[in-house]
Amino acid sequence: MVQKKMVAMILAGGRGSRLYDLTKKIAKPAVNFGGKYRIIDFALSNCANSNISTVGILVQYESVLLNSYVARDYLWGLNMAGGGVYVLPPREKDNEGFDIYEGTANAIAQNIDFLDQADADYVLVLSGDHIYKMDYEDMLREHVETGAAATIAVIQVPLKEASRFGIMNCDENDNIIEFEEKPKNPKSDLASMGIYIFDYKLMRKYLVADTKDKNSSHDFGKDVIPAYLKDKEKLHAYRFKGYWKDVGTIDSLWEANMDLLDHKDLLDLFDNEWKIYSEDPMTAPQIIGPNAKINEAYITTGCFIDGDVKHSVIFTGVRVNKDAKVRDTVLMNNVTVGEGAKLERCLVMNDVKIPANAHFGDKNGDKILLVTPEMAEGK
Amino acid sequence: MKALGILNFEPYSINVRGIEEYRPISAASFLGRFRVLDFMISNFTNSGIDNLKVFIKNRPRSTVEHVHSTNYNINAKRGKIHLLHGEKVYTNPIYNTDLAAFESNMSFIREVNADLVIVAPSHFVYIQDFNKVVEEHLKKENDITVLYHAVNDANQAYELCDTLQINEEGRVTAIATNSCKYKHRNISLESYVMSRKLFMTLVERGRKTSSIYWLRDILRDSIDDLKVGTYAHKGYVACMNSLKAYLKANLDLIKEENLNTLIKKDWTIYTMTNDSCPTLYEAGARAVSSIVGNGCDIAGDLENCVIGRGVKIGQGCKIKNTMILPGARIGDNVTIENAVIDRFANVTVDSVLIGEPSDPLYVARGDKI
Repeated sequence: MVQKKMVAMILAGGRGSRLYDLTKKIAKPAVNFGGKYRIIDFALSNCANSNISTVGILVQYESVLLNSYVARDYLWGLNMAGGGVYVLPPREKDNEGFDIYEGTANAIAQNIDFLDQADADYVLVLSGDHIYKMDYEDMLREHVETGAAATIAVIQVPLKEASRFGIMNCDENDNIIEFEEKPKNPKSDLASMGIYIFDYKLMRKYLVADTKDKNSSHDFGKDVIPAYLKDKEKLHAYRFKGYWKDVGTIDSLWEANMDLLDHKDLLDLFDNEWKIYSEDPMTAPQIIGPNAKINEAYITTGCFIDGDVKHSVIFTGVRVNKDAKVRDTVLMNNVTVGEGAKLERCLVMNDVKIPANAHFGDKNGDKILLVTPEMAEGK
Repeated sequence: MKALGILNFEPYSINVRGIEEYRPISAASFLGRFRVLDFMISNFTNSGIDNLKVFIKNRPRSTVEHVHSTNYNINAKRGKIHLLHGEKVYTNPIYNTDLAAFESNMSFIREVNADLVIVAPSHFVYIQDFNKVVEEHLKKENDITVLYHAVNDANQAYELCDTLQINEEGRVTAIATNSCKYKHRNISLESYVMSRKLFMTLVERGRKTSSIYWLRDILRDSIDDLKVGTYAHKGYVACMNSLKAYLKANLDLIKEENLNTLIKKDWTIYTMTNDSCPTLYEAGARAVSSIVGNGCDIAGDLENCVIGRGVKIGQGCKIKNTMILPGARIGDNVTIENAVIDRFANVTVDSVLIGEPSDPLYVARGDKI
């Protein structure tokens, strides 16, 4: 079935400054993940698997690589007639100034002409930096059934962690009565996942009004959703069960990679019914050398592994030489680990060359060490 | 100089037991990630040839799906990969020769704007920049230039391949068939450069001579009246003319020094994308000296194996000197040695399958053991 009525808008403009050097030259959604993916592959594959054919990508920060990546719509099968992936950077318009995107709602508001043209009945707003699998078609079904003006996907979080999230307080029918951003004393454990379905006509009015409001920060969570609530519009909470992670920090990015090993049941990459699509770098196959010892690890094409790898995720084109030890570590694309080197609880950036016998990271460290090219050169 | 690429189908002289019942050897899995013909098609496209005629002898499903789903890095508008077969002779194995297939598709060859034709085989794996062969062909003003490889194991491999007798000027003076009696032979790599006009003439002449003639037969007949020159190929060569040779080529390439002569950074081998996830090595897995495709789930022991995409290997398995094609399932505590396990085969718990290196065991596509 071709889903023409719901247009997905993926927010992919943020820098992700808590990822430090990883996002120095590329936007967070384009950061590599899970061996062969980029973070945005998850949102794009979810769109494709949910029969969405028109996807807009709101880009802003360091977007050259991201733009060219997502423009290859065929990678996710999103090249059907009438659909496609549309890269939407801030642009100069007739009779209007040239503005950067001021917030999540403003990014969508600046593309109202795009949504008008796409003839959207529903708009699905997504983040380009979350790792999860979700059927947006099912969420739309519930949205239509409940007759809500907007539906927000929520996930149950431990109550003691709820103060880190935007929390939705709901009635017995899962209709939202109150939204609290990072509450000190949370009344509910339902956290917003930053995934919204809006009826487009009404959303359009709110976005136009929000743009004119000088006091607004033009954010969905802080401004638009509260405005809906104030007007007593029906907001529904769609309960999502499954794996979901916002990979905003080095620790959470590392953790999400490790979750692939530790929670295979929650985020199953082997599921042929819900594949995560990505680019194929056309490398040599994966070679396991005569001295290799590999346990609990994901390893992908183009790798040569001759060392001892345990509980680690190894990305495309990595080389681990003999007698090297890699533990609880993420090695991103084209990393080389020299003979006798040892890595523990590290996240090693693309193209880093770890010299022979160098040691990085700490087995008992409470923080994950981001290994940059400069650090490796210094050893 | 514009050239048309022709990927020929496999000759009558090859017999890859089992594998060929489901697809031509050219469409069989190679190194867990590629198909055999990816190497030759990539040779063409990397050499800048973007007009290709790929001939299929029979069992087209696998080739059609693979070639049409692969982006071989040519301009999709300017270039073309055309899949063809011998319309009239398709159902009769004896009459289904390459010359018959060329003849029945001659209109497509006639209309191409190209001075030269490069014919390459689909059952060989090697990398070759065809520009260099063309350069030599033009410099020597040959009628035909044949690519060859001087080998020292012709007694053990290349059975029934053409061997070339070459004089000091590099001209072919005789063509014979390798009977595996001698170690040192010049093996024809069955890649030929010639003018498009001569190609068309040879097809016509061959068809007039005999309905069961192949291109190599009419070439053999023509060496006295045509100037057939040679170009020496240096590098890795494998001829997939038997199940043993197919397994051996895959296992030989596990050694990194061998693989590095076939897969190079500046000579990408293109293949179909499957969107499989990375391969998962479970706790307790023990893999050494192997090539593994993506999407595998490995819990047992592997030694000197080539494992295709999406293969599952259970706990306690001991698998040695074996090639497993994509999508096969190997249950717990299975022992396999010197075998080729075809696609989607299901080898259940505690099975023991042991073949000989000289006579590998073959488990058919989709079989349950």
